[in-house]
Amino acid sequence: MAKRSVLGLFKDADSAANGVDALKGLGISPMDYDILTGMPYPDGAFGEPHTQHKLFVFPLVGAICGLAVAILVTAGTQLSYPMVTGGKPILSVPAMAIISYEATLLGAILFTVLGIIFESRLPRMQLGLYDPRITEGYIGLAVSCDERLLGTTEEALKGAGAEEVKHN
Amino acid sequence: MHTPSGNSHQGTVPSTPQEVVRHGLERMTSAGPLFRGTVIVLGALFALGIVGFIIRASQGFDDRLPWGYYAAVFGYFLTTAQSAPMVAIALRAVKAGWRRPVARVAEMWTVVGVLNLLWFLPIMALVPTIEGRRSLWVTRPIGAPHAWDLLVVLFLAVCGLGLLYTSALPDLAAVREKGSGFRQRFARTLSSFWRGTRLQWNVLYGGIALLGTFYAMLLVFGHALLSTDVAMSMVPGWKDAIFPAFHALSGLQSAVAVVIVTLFVLRTWGGYKEQIHVDQFWGLSKLLLAFSLLWFYFWFSGFITFWYGRAPTEQVLLRYLYFESYRLPFLMAFFLNFVAPIFLVLLWNPFRKSILGPTLAAAFILVGTLFDRIRIYVAAFSAGDPFADALEHVPAAHLPGVPDILIVVGGLAGAVLMYMLAVRLIPVMAWWELKEGLLLRRVRPFLRRHMTVVAKPD
Repeated sequence: MAKRSVLGLFKDADSAANGVDALKGLGISPMDYDILTGMPYPDGAFGEPHTQHKLFVFPLVGAICGLAVAILVTAGTQLSYPMVTGGKPILSVPAMAIISYEATLLGAILFTVLGIIFESRLPRMQLGLYDPRITEGYIGLAVSCDERLLGTTEEALKGAGAEEVKHN
Repeated sequence: MHTPSGNSHQGTVPSTPQEVVRHGLERMTSAGPLFRGTVIVLGALFALGIVGFIIRASQGFDDRLPWGYYAAVFGYFLTTAQSAPMVAIALRAVKAGWRRPVARVAEMWTVVGVLNLLWFLPIMALVPTIEGRRSLWVTRPIGAPHAWDLLVVLFLAVCGLGLLYTSALPDLAAVREKGSGFRQRFARTLSSFWRGTRLQWNVLYGGIALLGTFYAMLLVFGHALLSTDVAMSMVPGWKDAIFPAFHALSGLQSAVAVVIVTLFVLRTWGGYKEQIHVDQFWGLSKLLLAFSLLWFYFWFSGFITFWYGRAPTEQVLLRYLYFESYRLPFLMAFFLNFVAPIFLVLLWNPFRKSILGPTLAAAFILVGTLFDRIRIYVAAFSAGDPFADALEHVPAAHLPGVPDILIVVGGLAGAVLMYMLAVRLIPVMAWWELKEGLLLRRVRPFLRRHMTVVAKPD
């Protein structure tokens, strides 16, 4: 069965929460609907499940990669061209600390940027169903449903107080 | 629109998300004669700065002495514009409610990071090799100092722009939907994917927190590294463990000062009287007072070591950096960064809790910091042979010539110009944070008056 997208537009948050309840009543999985807002509502404000992302893993991986490269560069050059400075050991941590810190940070920053892109599901060529009023405070409830449930879903959203329901 | 009662906010504020966007778009698109005139003047000054640079470059890069003022502008950008986002990062971290109109104003200064990256490239040709002289790079790793310094400046710009972009995404989406012309095309290109899903908001929060943290870590490190490589290590015998920390602390003080002055300009001439109130100035003035006291503490800690050390090199250095050659910039910096802001303004409650008081103190600090960076970087570039063990005598001060004045004035004009052009493309107020503020704020009756109650979600 082909999937269709439906967007219910709600003027206030209470109606949008009712819309989420109505979707739950229809047995629509939380994976199949999303709430679109122009400002950040606290997580779970509409009765939706908490969203999970793995953004925090990215800088960790980046930092480890950066640190590994730094150790490779500093230890590698010092072992390849041993030069005793000030009577200190060839591999001395304080001397390696500057590059290690810098490379760790650079790796973390680079991977964070990549993480934001990846976790935001980019690159995305099409916006999908949307309405400009969402940027001005309206709340959108975007539902992906089977074609046969299209009418029922639209009815449920209207019943919950949606000012307008669109689909593609 | 409504006038809230029972809180310290004054004036009429946009009271719905729709009004926030509409007002913001109006401000973005309306460019009066004052704005256009300022842009033309700043553009002309920036062009003169380029002329000054060309004159200097035509004389070559072999002698670093004439480039001192150029390097001072680099240090000034690092200390002011590139440090300014710290205000947004810190206030977001502590969830200060009054930060909402401040955050974007502060992080918008990251655009100057691009200018400073370009500004740094000629400096790489002027910083000598580390072979045969004292530096941070004791084991002489590959690329040190030039490549590692460049990477810090590059990533400061990248991280800053990443932070600005991430934080501006929801507002760019609003411009995409409600704006027109080139602004809309620009916003559409950058925010074509933004719908405001739960996941996107959560990633946005996480991204801002992570990039903000990394920016702070890199900025402090950058201050330490660059002030050592481009200034301290070039003066024979100058060995001061406190100086890099002083440089970074000075950056935090100037960051608050830059934001206060920007807020004042936006409020007075930019049409943001409805969003920027005395609350913001009052809150920032407390930070400014703390950083101004710390400025003295860090400066004195470095100074007293040399003063009591009294080794011949240290005596020459004190005479060079404080009492003879660069006495005037030092006295100006001491007065404008410490004495004037604290004792004339910030110590007094009525001045601190005002709009003009903190602005005056901030203006003192920005001028003082310019003198201080001139003292540090011009002195570093005119100290003679960086490969010597110590200064044998007190070098003469290097006074600015016409190209130097053009470079300093043009550089500063270029930075402000970049900011002014950026606010035409990216909203200078974080609309989504203002809207979130409206969502989390309610005026409730309390005994015989009304009070504003603000929710703080986890």
